[in-house]
Amino acid sequence: MKTRKQWIAAAMLCVCTGMSCVPAEAQEYAVATKTLKNGMKVLVQSDRSIPNVALYIFYRIGSRNEHPGTTGLSHFFEHMMFKGAKKYGPDELDKIFEANGGSTNAYTTQNVTVYQDWFPRAALPLTFDIEADRIQYLSFDPERIKSEREVVASERRLSVDNENIGALDEQLWATAFIAHPYQWPVVGWMSDIEHWTMEDLKHHFEMGYSPGNATMVVVGDVSADEVFQLCEKMIEPIPSHAPPPPVVTVEPEQMGERRLVLHKAAQLPLLMIGYHVPQSNNPDYYALNILRTVLFQGESSRMYQRLVDKDQIALGVNSSQQPAFDPTIAIVIAQVKQGADPGACEKAIYEELEKAKSAPISDKELEKAKNIRLVEFYKQMQTINGRANTIGTYEVFFGDYRKLFEAAKNYAAVTKEDVQRVARQYFGANNRTVATLVPDADEKGKP
Amino acid sequence: MMRMRTARLGLLLFVLPSFAAQAARAQSIHLPPHEKVVLKNGLTVLLLEKHGVPIISFYGILKAGAAADPEGQEGLAAITAGLLRKGTESRTTQQFSADLDFIGGSFAADATADFTAISAECLSKDVAKGLDLFADALLHPTFPKDEVDKLLAQTLDAVKGAKDDPQQVLAPYYYAYLYSGRGYGRSEDGDEISLPKIQRAAVSRFYANYYAPGNMILAVAGDFQPADMKKRLADVFGGWLGKLTPALKIAATAPVKGKRLLLVDKPDATQTYFAFGNIGISVEDPDRVAIRVVNTVFGERFTSMLNEALRIESGLTYGAQAGFDARKLPGPFVIESFTKNETTTQAIDLALQVLAKLRKDGITAAQLASAKNYIKGQFPPEIETSGALARRIASDEFYGLDDSEVNQLEARVDAVTLETARQVIQKHYPSENLVFMLIGNASAIGPAVRKYAEKQDARKITEPGFWPAGK
Repeated sequence: MKTRKQWIAAAMLCVCTGMSCVPAEAQEYAVATKTLKNGMKVLVQSDRSIPNVALYIFYRIGSRNEHPGTTGLSHFFEHMMFKGAKKYGPDELDKIFEANGGSTNAYTTQNVTVYQDWFPRAALPLTFDIEADRIQYLSFDPERIKSEREVVASERRLSVDNENIGALDEQLWATAFIAHPYQWPVVGWMSDIEHWTMEDLKHHFEMGYSPGNATMVVVGDVSADEVFQLCEKMIEPIPSHAPPPPVVTVEPEQMGERRLVLHKAAQLPLLMIGYHVPQSNNPDYYALNILRTVLFQGESSRMYQRLVDKDQIALGVNSSQQPAFDPTIAIVIAQVKQGADPGACEKAIYEELEKAKSAPISDKELEKAKNIRLVEFYKQMQTINGRANTIGTYEVFFGDYRKLFEAAKNYAAVTKEDVQRVARQYFGANNRTVATLVPDADEKGKP
Repeated sequence: MMRMRTARLGLLLFVLPSFAAQAARAQSIHLPPHEKVVLKNGLTVLLLEKHGVPIISFYGILKAGAAADPEGQEGLAAITAGLLRKGTESRTTQQFSADLDFIGGSFAADATADFTAISAECLSKDVAKGLDLFADALLHPTFPKDEVDKLLAQTLDAVKGAKDDPQQVLAPYYYAYLYSGRGYGRSEDGDEISLPKIQRAAVSRFYANYYAPGNMILAVAGDFQPADMKKRLADVFGGWLGKLTPALKIAATAPVKGKRLLLVDKPDATQTYFAFGNIGISVEDPDRVAIRVVNTVFGERFTSMLNEALRIESGLTYGAQAGFDARKLPGPFVIESFTKNETTTQAIDLALQVLAKLRKDGITAAQLASAKNYIKGQFPPEIETSGALARRIASDEFYGLDDSEVNQLEARVDAVTLETARQVIQKHYPSENLVFMLIGNASAIGPAVRKYAEKQDARKITEPGFWPAGK
């Protein structure tokens, strides 16, 4: 729920890494695993503290598996997965699930499409019945496709056209990547949303929705045995087929700064800077997170202290880096204060980055960053939902859920010198794309 | 970038300080045992032990919120709360942040209309430092002049920036129009007119008037031993001097008669954001459980009548919903959605038809049974964390509700019949008396939306404030 109280927070993207990270003392949670004969891996963490269950299915298909002309198809497909299959007909899925006390949602990223079921434990067999039905027998009704196309267009107007951060973010990715599919938006370009064909949809389903291309995570009031039995009965018989073809395009090294300006009706300017960084399973992941924590997280962070507190040129400054299979970008975002120059924010950010390159962070900063990571880990572990998402994210992006619990020692191993090295390696001028949103009425930021 | 399938709209959405129990199991959901202690200085302390994750959550409710803002100084309670950590007798704001971040702790303070909430979280191993910081902000703020100015300027910019995203300002515009700029219609965060009028002296006065132990409920939940926590709290808060605080005079607002419509012009908008409804219910309304059941069917969940009509069947929008924001006094009831400019009246007409259908036909036995299961099945995660539990027991205490709100929820939900549903629909869902608020491109949609109300008001989104409605 987004309330008006979140104005300031909503004006920036979260610092989050999209997953939680753990230092030294983190406790471990027992996870049982099983790989079905059709290739789907299932992870179960039993926790009976509330009589509920969170079930996540991660399909390894996202907008990186699309092409010009069909951008946004993965996300559209996420919507279609709720529009009916064989046993559970058009629009029945949610009705039946809610009548049994459950609720559903899903999200699509550049890399994965994730389906989420939250339900009281009695609805466990029903959940499997629904998931088995739609992975095998999804229906492709032209009327429902037509109306859902409109829903997605509305979603695009909501999150991009009428939302300045969304609009600038889209332009940033489109400029930072010239070859790799991360260049187009997850929601898709509007003209593509309007023009997908039935064949495109069917092809996408066949490509992405194979059991072998999916990982299931179940956390809550269940036993591993009962989950595995349901899997053997209902999921294992579903045959697998070939996974999506590998994404072979490698983004060429960026050889110089790129800049873009977006003119838009707005009260305040926005600044976003993207730096190319490696994919999630690269060993530098941990040092990069420590660096971003020191620079951006909390009011004691270097960037907050500089831009918000001391210079008072930004309302907020933050950083985000989403889990990714391929080399991606770490994004810095500053909500520029009214009357302040986006260029001044840019300069201050570069100066702080230079400091992180020219001298190691302090021991205290390093310890602080590790403590912050520990608390974030426990906050994720507080709920069955947080655990299902985090365990699945580590399994899918790092290749093994145990990396979640090993992150402790991986963070502990990060030194001040590592942090300085990644600052130098990734946060250079030639490696950055600078996006500025200039309010229509205010041309000051125009280069 | 994440793309959620269900929209989270700008307004409310919790129906009441929620209630429910669990579905499909013999034993029902209960609040974990907790204990209430009133210190000699009048501070009400609630303690709830919860182990498993080594986190401790503090949630304090100060019984003075935005409703206590002086006329013309809307936002004062929120600014005062925001300044608590911005300099204390022993710490500068920088030192406070450094100490807090070092333990990975969190601290938040903000005002709602009814109260100010001050909360903190830390690992149990850091409880001494976490409690020290929480108490330092609460008991010893100094409101340095430069920090007051800084926060006021940031808040003012945030209000302006929010107007770039219609979803963020749907609530303040709708509330202001619904309550005619009084009571719950006054901006909780302040606006471009009120914020510049707030001075440091007013902040100090607000603090001196209202921040007192007898005016506060402090809930602590999480990984601690009660005896140890009691001793710590007595050490930290025992010396806080009690005093009398001014009584808050706020009167309930009667529902609006007739129809009226405000169109906020945002010329670049490619879709229209709309909200309509009337004044709804208070937290203590005896119909609250039945309303929760009915509204689950009507406008709360993904397959609600509203979302089914406007999204699932017609594709007019990404999401449509309805909710009662129950407060100390009757709070707003709203139906809200958004749609592209060309389908503005089609979507509003459809929403009105769904409302009319609810009033005419009521809900079915199947819908009733489904809603009961849904509420019971979805409730347990609402009180899963120590933070949620601390907030829950503190707000129940504030609103004068007891544990039966949770412990009896299952029974109360099950007791709702089709007849009670019919009665609450007739009583609480408006039909002829409706207040409409739209944010959109006035030149594109203005003429078409005139049909909804004889009384029409207009503003531009660039005009400061959220009220008055028209010139």
